[in-house]
Order: sequence, then C-alpha cells, then structure tokens
Amino acid sequence: MLKNDLILRNPLRQLGFETEDILPAGALGAVLAHAGVGKTALLVQLALNGMLRSRNVLHISLNDPVNKVNIWYHELFQHLAGRYGGAQVSSLWESVLPHRFIMTFRVETFTVPKLEERLSDLTEQGIFSPTMMIIDGLYFDESRRSDLNDLKAIAVKNGIHIWFTVHTHRHESLGLDGLPESFSAVAGLFDLVLELQPERADVHIKLLRGKGSNPAGSALLLDPSTMLIKDKEL
Amino acid sequence: MSSTVEKVRNIGISAHIDSGKTTLTERILFYTKRIHAIHDVKGKDGVGATMDSMELEKERGITIASAATFCEWQDHEINIIDTPGHVDFTIEVERSLRVLDGAVLVLCSVGGVQSQSITVDMQMKRYKVPCIAFINKCDRSGADPSRVIAQLHSKLGHNAVAMQIPIGLEADFRGVIDLLSMKAFYFEGESGEQVRSDEIPAELLADARSKREGMIDAASLFSDELTEAILEEGAISDALIMDAVRKGTLSRKLTPVFLGSAYKNKGVQPLLDAVNRYLPCPADVGNTALDLDHGETLVDLLPDSSLPIVALAFKLEDGTYGQLTYVRVYQGTLAKGAVIVNTRTGKKTKIGRVVRMHADQMEDIEAAAAGYIAALFGIECASGDTFVSPGLNLTMTSMFVPKPVISLAISPKDNKSQINMSKALNRFTKEDPTFRTHVDDETNETIIEGMGELHLEIYVERMKREYGTDVETGKPRVAYRETITQRAEFNYTHKKQTGGSGQYGRVAGYMEPITEGEDDFVFDNQVRGGSIPTQYIAACEKGFRQCLAKGPKMEFPVTGVKIVINDGASHAVDSSDMAFQAAARGAFREGYAKAKPVIHEPIMKVVVETPTEFQGAVMGLLNQRRGMIVGAQDEGVMTVVEAQVPLGEMFGFSTVLRSATQGKAQFTMEFALYRQIPQSIAEKIAEEVALRKKSAA
Repeated sequence: MLKNDLILRNPLRQLGFETEDILPAGALGAVLAHAGVGKTALLVQLALNGMLRSRNVLHISLNDPVNKVNIWYHELFQHLAGRYGGAQVSSLWESVLPHRFIMTFRVETFTVPKLEERLSDLTEQGIFSPTMMIIDGLYFDESRRSDLNDLKAIAVKNGIHIWFTVHTHRHESLGLDGLPESFSAVAGLFDLVLELQPERADVHIKLLRGKGSNPAGSALLLDPSTMLIKDKEL
Repeated sequence: MSSTVEKVRNIGISAHIDSGKTTLTERILFYTKRIHAIHDVKGKDGVGATMDSMELEKERGITIASAATFCEWQDHEINIIDTPGHVDFTIEVERSLRVLDGAVLVLCSVGGVQSQSITVDMQMKRYKVPCIAFINKCDRSGADPSRVIAQLHSKLGHNAVAMQIPIGLEADFRGVIDLLSMKAFYFEGESGEQVRSDEIPAELLADARSKREGMIDAASLFSDELTEAILEEGAISDALIMDAVRKGTLSRKLTPVFLGSAYKNKGVQPLLDAVNRYLPCPADVGNTALDLDHGETLVDLLPDSSLPIVALAFKLEDGTYGQLTYVRVYQGTLAKGAVIVNTRTGKKTKIGRVVRMHADQMEDIEAAAAGYIAALFGIECASGDTFVSPGLNLTMTSMFVPKPVISLAISPKDNKSQINMSKALNRFTKEDPTFRTHVDDETNETIIEGMGELHLEIYVERMKREYGTDVETGKPRVAYRETITQRAEFNYTHKKQTGGSGQYGRVAGYMEPITEGEDDFVFDNQVRGGSIPTQYIAACEKGFRQCLAKGPKMEFPVTGVKIVINDGASHAVDSSDMAFQAAARGAFREGYAKAKPVIHEPIMKVVVETPTEFQGAVMGLLNQRRGMIVGAQDEGVMTVVEAQVPLGEMFGFSTVLRSATQGKAQFTMEFALYRQIPQSIAEKIAEEVALRKKSAA
C-alpha cells in the first residue's frame, strides 16, 4: 500500500514523459548544476522511484565511498516515506534495497572497459542485472566523447538507460544552446538534459533538452531543506 | 611510580587485523627498555611477540585476550592495553576503551581505513576516547600515507592532520620529517634505537613547509594565542603549536597523524613522544559513577589519591596463582592491606597483593594511585564489578555488552573432561560477558553462545589446551528470534475448579509490534476501575514475560512485542497470583496466534577485501549465500565488497573464500540487524527444530 502511494506521489511525472522511467532503454540523460545544488539528490530520487517499481539500479560513484552513497538513499527514502509508520517504512526499505547496487571507483582510475568488466561480472553470474544506471562524478569535456560513445553502446547492448551528473562552473560561459561550453561538445549524445537552477530559496528543475517536454516541467522544484522534488503548487 | 598524575598515560592500541598493533607494541616495549630483544609475531625464533602470551595467540598470529603492560618514556608512565583485532573479540576492545584515556589508532599505509578500523572508531566515539593515528607499514609496496589521511577524513570523519611526512616510501622508506621541529629523523642502529636528527633533504623542504602551514592552520582553530601569533607573522614556538594540537586532540576535533614502519623499526620513538604530548592524562578526562544511595545520580570522580577508593575490574585472568583481576583506579589509592567492597555483592575484601603487569610477567608494587591500571590477586569478582572504600555505594556505569548471535552444543568425551569443562566454562563466562553458557532443559546439552564462529572455536580450543578437556561440538546454531507483525486482541479467562479453592482470572487487551529503537518487550497497564486488582498486575506481567523465552511458533525467543492490558476480571476467593500468571500465558498464546508471527534471523555485515581480479568470484560467493551486496568499492589494487549475509549461511565461509582467492582475500563480519527469513527457509528451520526435538525425546 505504502509502496503504491510513494509511486503515485512521484512528482517527476509532472515532467510530462510517457514512460515511468522517463528515459527509454539505451538512452543517456544528464543533470546539470553547480556544486552542492542537488544533482545527486535528484538522481537518487529517480533511482528510488525505479527501485519502488522493482527496477534494478546500479549506482556508480566516482567521489563518495559506498557508505556515503548509502546514506543518500536512506535519508531521502526516510524523507519520502516520512509520514508513514516506522515499522512499515523499515520493512519497505528492506524490500527495495535488493534493487540497488552501489559501485565506487576512484575518479582517476575509472575507465569504461573496467566498468564493462564489472558489469558483466554481475550480470553473467546472475547477481544483479540493472535496468538503470547512475554515474555520479564524471568530468565532462570533448575528450570524453569516445567514453560516452562506449557507454551509450553498453546502454544499448544491455537495455539500460544511464543518468549522469554534470558539474557546471559559474565562470564557464554558455553556448548558443544555453549549455555550458565544456558540456556542449558532447551534449548531442544525450537524449535528455535537466538543469537545477537555484532561484532565491528554491531550486528549479528545468528541462534544457529532450523530447516530450512539458512546460509543467518548469513547475518542479527541489526543496532545499529535504532535497525532495516537489510541485510548485504544493 | 611517578609522583604526578599528569605524567601518566593509559592508552590502547586499536586497529584492523594485521595492521601491526602487536608488532608496534613490541617495539614500544623494546625502546622503553621493558624488553631486551624483539620477537616478531610470526618470527622464525618461535618465541612470538611479548604481548601475545597465550599459546594459541602465538600459533595463530592474532591477539585474543588483551594483555596490559606499562612502560616509561621521557619521564612519563605509559600503561598500554594491547587489544585484539578480530571483530569476534570486540568486547575486549570495548572493555579496554572503557578504562583508557586515549588511544593510538594504527592504520596500514596500504590497506588504509579498513572495516575494523571503522568499528573501532565507532567504539572510540562511544567512549569519547581521544586518539592519535599511526600509519604503519610505510615500507610496504603500495604504501600511500596521504591516501590514508584522506580516508580518515572521508570514511571516519576525522579532522586528520599530518604531523610528519615520509622520507621516501615503500622499499625506499628511510625516515620521517617532523613538521613541528622541521627536522628529519632517521632510525639507526641494529634495531632502530638510535634516533638521528638532521636537516630536511632539500627536495622535500618545499613540501614540508606547505604541510607545516596546513598543520598550523588546523591547530590554530583550537588556540587563540596561536591564531594571534599567525596574524602577527612572528615566530611561532613549538610549545604554542603543541598546546593547540593537544587541545584539539583532547576535544576529539583533531587527529594528529604520525608515520612509520614498526617492523622496520622506524617512527616509533616520535610516536611515543606524541603519546606524551597529545594524549590525555587521567586528570584530563572526566569520569563519573552512579550513586546507588541517591537514585543512581551521577557523581564526578576525581583523580585524587587521598579520596576514598573507586576502582573498576575490567578484566579477569586465571593464572597459576589464582584469579588475577585487572583494575583501573579512578579515585583514591589501592594499597596493599586496604579494605575494599565489591558494590555488586557487598563483599568486603582485604587487598593482599597489588601487581603491575607486563604481559605474562608481573612486578609487585605497594599501591596503585588514582589514574593507574594494576592487577590484584585473590579477589573474587566478575568482569565489570566496581570496588569502593567501605562507606561508599558507587558503581561505574555498566558497559555495553552485545547479545550473542551464535550457539554451539558441546559435550565432554569422558568423565574427567566433564568436571574440567564446567570449571573452564565458569571461568570463561566470568572473563568474557559476550560468552554465555546454559543447559538446554529439553535436550540436556550444554550450549555455549558467542559473537561468531571463531569466538566459540577459540574457547573450545582453550578448553582443550588449558583444561585438558576434550569436547565434541555440534553444528553451530543461529540465534533466531520470533516476533509479531500485526496488532491482535486477546481476551482470555483462566478458570479451574478441581475441589478446594479454584483458580480464576481474566485478562484482556492487545499486543502489537514495537517499532525500531524501543525495548524488546513493553508492558503497558491501562486497566481502569480495578477490573484487575492492582495486586495482580505484576503477576500478569510475569505471565507474559514467561512466554518470551520460548515463542509459541518455533520456540525461539520472542522480541519486539508490546502488550497492553485494558480489561479483565477477578474473583474474590478464587483469584491469585498463580491464576493471573496462567491467564496471562493463555492470553499471550491467544493473541500471538492472531498476530501473524514470523521468524527473524541475524544478518551480518560482511566486508571482504580482495584483490580486484577476484572481486567477481567474491560477489558470486556472497550471492550464493543469500547475501545482498550493498556495494563494491574500488581501492586501486584491492576492491572492498560490502554485503549483508544471513549468519546461518556464513559457516565455513573463510575456507571457501581462501580457496576462491588463493588466500589473498580477507573478511570481517559483525552483527548488523535481524531480518525476517524467507518462507522456504522458515520451513527448513521448522523441520530441523522438529527433528532436534524428536531426537532429544
């Protein structure tokens, strides 16, 4: 019951996408923001939403250790399910956990072939087969093009979609498409690009690029106190 | 004995398995001239390290029981407790930390902050023990102290600050640069006993200067004088920096980091200097006791030798001359001939001998003053007891003792073993509160309980070696539990009329699951208007509690149940305590059946550190054991796989892991939580329980 409630309450539906996963299999998505605005929090909520629908999520972090990533999930889940009873929430948490696998790499040693090797370790032994992947902490510029092409190929081959966090810098100038120049070079590979924009006390979730755009998308906010996605009206 | 308490340090040395704690302690004892030769843990001379005095420890190369010793360095007296690294023996670590004022956290420069370091750090936090860090094994290939410092920040949340930088690393590790004195230190002589100071090598000077600046910056947060000195851009004295670092360390807001290689005799003497400089003396640490005469109010203890005695027995050992009791004196002086009272038993004892321990050798002393650790002979007590002067009624707060998660049936092979086995069990249970024993009243088997397979294995082995007791062991059994999952009402009448006065009692109310964080059992009396007379309420609670030991479902202990009684009935003649106890038992059975009971099993947090090439195989092994893999962390050549695995599936895992990884992986395991077991497994357990009952009958 609680599970269904949490799925229905998912405000991401407001972005106006046809599928629950927002991204189709084989597609790449990106969340752009300055440091500390809430990129990881947004993606963890997408992951939690998938996990509640029994989708397997592989979370790859290049900055944080496993425990820290785990805390993100736990905290956001607690906030999401906050108004429900304790015993119910903890049993639901236990039941969604098997749908998540955290993998961490050191950013300097992360390579796509290494990731592919790890992924096949998991899938071939039947340990874990993801349908969604999050890569948090990858540095973007033109030199990443071939890596991203390889990642896209992995996504297509395994029928998964991949979300990336993209760290933008205030000093960086914007291209004609409104995207930071370093990211612009590879933006063509992405099917969907969201941006988190802090405005006064709120953080707005804006759709910069992608099919199925809905003006309602701009009505989504990230609540800075809980880091949860919410409708503007709520 | 030093005259002032300011020059006393009670420290522990804590770390992950194989980080080199015992080797480091051995070097400390050598440099402080307590021993005259160095014996390595698994050395070729077959002597073993001095602190590993138990035969079994020497054989396995691990420290099991912590040994206490003392030494002197630069006019300071240092009492050291060498603590075991394996997580099964965590109670030893906890007990040591309870009586220590400070600790040295030893980390491996290759392995970094490993799982056990995290556990030990949590324990230090619980007992607010200030610590300094020592990054050992800087001579090993793959040594990277700066990565370890970064991990201290990221994994443990320490404000770790390097006080030294290495001169060379791995095979080229030659010495350390002290950022306080800005001198290079080399360790020469056959066993590194001669410390030579020299100018900093030119190529490292720039790095040393910038690191020193960082260190002073971090320290300045704890001293206004230092901040002022920095702003005035004048000369900064060493004393000013030391004072600031000490303040930071004592408040647990700064962790000074030192480097070396104990095995290669490098960096140990500066670490001893740091123990004296930065770790607290007994007077720096506030200790409290509970006053039993005044409703357990907290009383501050003062490290003053002239006040009445308050001391805590934190470790017992059975030696050749009887029971040896390790005590920490918190207040007063424990002197030969003094009379002390055990607060728990009220028994008065006259102190016969006070000794100071050095691993398994001892030295008689006249008295142990406040702040010291000593050992007493011929005192009958249990671990954790408080001793006070007659007239006082204080007890030190009880220590946190985890519940056992695994049990094993043992039976002696012959009659002689039978007698010795009970002697051994009696001693072990007194020494180690996490080790418990009881006789199963149905099967008549002696059951031992503990914190893990290795924990029990070691005790069985010790029975054999120390008491000549041969025992047969059964299969290890997991401590399953029962609990309910939904609210259910009960309304039960106990009525019996068999001639003479009858029995009558009615108990009504409901039971519900307890949410996390509360006690295992809650009893709430909401009876209004005296439908159950007040004098029978206690009997009702007793009746419910009687049902907890063996649950109606599969006879496992019941936990997480809240009972609320709100109605009932009594009879003027036929009601009695007995009748209401029976009514409560009936009510429990009635409600329990409706409350959807389930079985829970202990889930262990298993952390495997494996060379990266085997990580796929390791994950496969964990997966086969119903393990849920939380994550895999890439640490360069090694990968750390963290999983939650049911304890019942972990038996024999070490052998399987060894063969799957050519012996290159190691794992630690500790209790994480209880979780409901899947239906198929529940059926299997039910069959096992039925079979066991049948064979017992």
